[in-house]
Amino acid sequence: MQHVEIPVIKQHKEKRIKDRFVKIILLSFTLLSSSFIFIVAGTILVKGVTPFITNNNGLGSVSFIPFLTGDTWLIGESFHSNLYSIGFIIASTLMIALLSLVVSFPIGVLTALFIAKVAPKKLANILRTVIELLASIPSIIYGLFGAGIILNLVYNFSAAIGYQSKGGNSMLASILVLAIMTIPTITSISEVAIRSVDKNLEEGSLALGASKTQTHFKVVLFAAKSGIFTSAILGIGRALGEATAVSLVAGGRRSGYSFDLLDTTSTLTTIMLEGMKETIGLDYDIRFSVGIVLIVVIILTNIILNFVKRKVGNVNVK
Amino acid sequence: MKKLFGIILLTLALTLSACTNAEDTFDETKNITVYTRDTTSGTRAGFMEGIGFADAATNDSLLVEGFVIKDNTGIMTSMTTDQFGIGYVSLSSVNDTIKPLSFEGVEPTLANVINDTYGLKRPFMWMVRDAGDYSSETVEALVNAFVAFLGTTDAQDIINNNGAIGLNATQSWDDIKANHPVTQQDNTGVVVRFGGSDSIQKVAEALTNSFTSKAGNFTAEHDHTGSGDAYKRTQDPAIKDTSVGKDVGFASRYFKDAEKVGVETSDFGQLAWDAIVAIVHKDNPLNNVTADDLKKIYEGTYATWSDLLD
Repeated sequence: MQHVEIPVIKQHKEKRIKDRFVKIILLSFTLLSSSFIFIVAGTILVKGVTPFITNNNGLGSVSFIPFLTGDTWLIGESFHSNLYSIGFIIASTLMIALLSLVVSFPIGVLTALFIAKVAPKKLANILRTVIELLASIPSIIYGLFGAGIILNLVYNFSAAIGYQSKGGNSMLASILVLAIMTIPTITSISEVAIRSVDKNLEEGSLALGASKTQTHFKVVLFAAKSGIFTSAILGIGRALGEATAVSLVAGGRRSGYSFDLLDTTSTLTTIMLEGMKETIGLDYDIRFSVGIVLIVVIILTNIILNFVKRKVGNVNVK
Repeated sequence: MKKLFGIILLTLALTLSACTNAEDTFDETKNITVYTRDTTSGTRAGFMEGIGFADAATNDSLLVEGFVIKDNTGIMTSMTTDQFGIGYVSLSSVNDTIKPLSFEGVEPTLANVINDTYGLKRPFMWMVRDAGDYSSETVEALVNAFVAFLGTTDAQDIINNNGAIGLNATQSWDDIKANHPVTQQDNTGVVVRFGGSDSIQKVAEALTNSFTSKAGNFTAEHDHTGSGDAYKRTQDPAIKDTSVGKDVGFASRYFKDAEKVGVETSDFGQLAWDAIVAIVHKDNPLNNVTADDLKKIYEGTYATWSDLLD
């Protein structure tokens, strides 16, 4: 009997060794990829804290509270001054992200509703592909579109209402570019959420005598609201983090709190990007500090939106 | 419903406004929109120095309230849209979508830059150590070969491709390389130190990149710290032999008289021009500006176009 069992046991052993081997490989890759977050966050944190805790080669340390609240990016000569502040930029960043969501959210969700529920199957498939394509277009392309078309539109629109725009470089142009960019994200995620709404809910509503439109707006959208809310969170995340496209249409505002839609603006990302490649010393390090602020702003926005999402509640979604 | 109506109205207004044509007459009462590069730009440094507003090269707080920061392309495209804007770009970017302004009555053309009549420009200069003052004869021979290379059509092309304007050259490197036997040997491991103006860094690196392969693959070390260091680090007795000493220094301005004391005339020269052009929208009736006009625009003394045009 024994001479039959031995090869089986041997096989088992081999299998177990192989399993363990694969497990170790998978684990090491996981450790590697997850450690990047610490490496990246660590580098940014260390670099970003430097301006506040060292004397920056004789310029003196940047003071933290004025940095967060002030209304001028840099007072004095660059490379010879430590008077940086980004309060006005934080405000305009949040305003731009929120307003771009106000534009893109209704358009995105209604498009999703059309694709998921109203459009004939063939058309829906084509539209879905188009939306996916739009979502994968690099941001620089949207930026070029913005610089070429939207700046012109905003400039002419301003002229039509009697406002002298600065070449269209404005908060409105930034909002429009970001809205166009976030619509595909919102649409594709909302569409999945809408499609996964329980058919029974829909049929129940129709059986009770509600029209299709009533069912779509009052039952389907309501039931999918958790997923739709997720799409808004991802959309605002993209809007907050976008640098390239916005920097082409924002106009590079350097001072003053401004909530004028038609005046120039800056966001946390554009201020980091502009001049990044050419600068050194404190003027370089301070961009990492702006990066930390941006991360904090994104995390806080996410926490708040997730809190709201939980408050809004959830309905039976498959 | 009110919100929806607002959004629809806005979209409608946007589409409609896209259809209306810009007016043909130029409204002089409009404000001047000032466009500038950011403080790290070499073009901005050259422009501000050229109009006598050098302090504003790295200081945004001196500029007129509400200026717009754009990169080179951004300023070009803005001038095709914004009738009331003014900006500046390097001469190599100018094309017929915008209107280049004459400076002090001289048109911004390549010919006028090279014959030294167009004023809004700065020279790119080089300076080397005295003969016999190098770490080795090979380095000295390489530096001499590099200086000769600067006067060739090869170098001129590289300079032109990097946004500056090369001087008129007639000989190619192939014509003169026989005069520099050092370039035929293998120079791997030989280090030649380049420094000086950071505005020239891009051009200088492109030049040495091309030249090392023509000259036995020596190593070109670039450390650009500013025009002032071109003289100090190659000729100033107190500094040239310290660790920051250089073999070739570049300056984006003429050398001052104080920097020429005791320096052989063969130890420095010009390699290129950097010309900058003030540009406006094609509808703008303005054709010519002076340095003083531009300074007044950029510091905010002139706020509307009528201040300038009348």
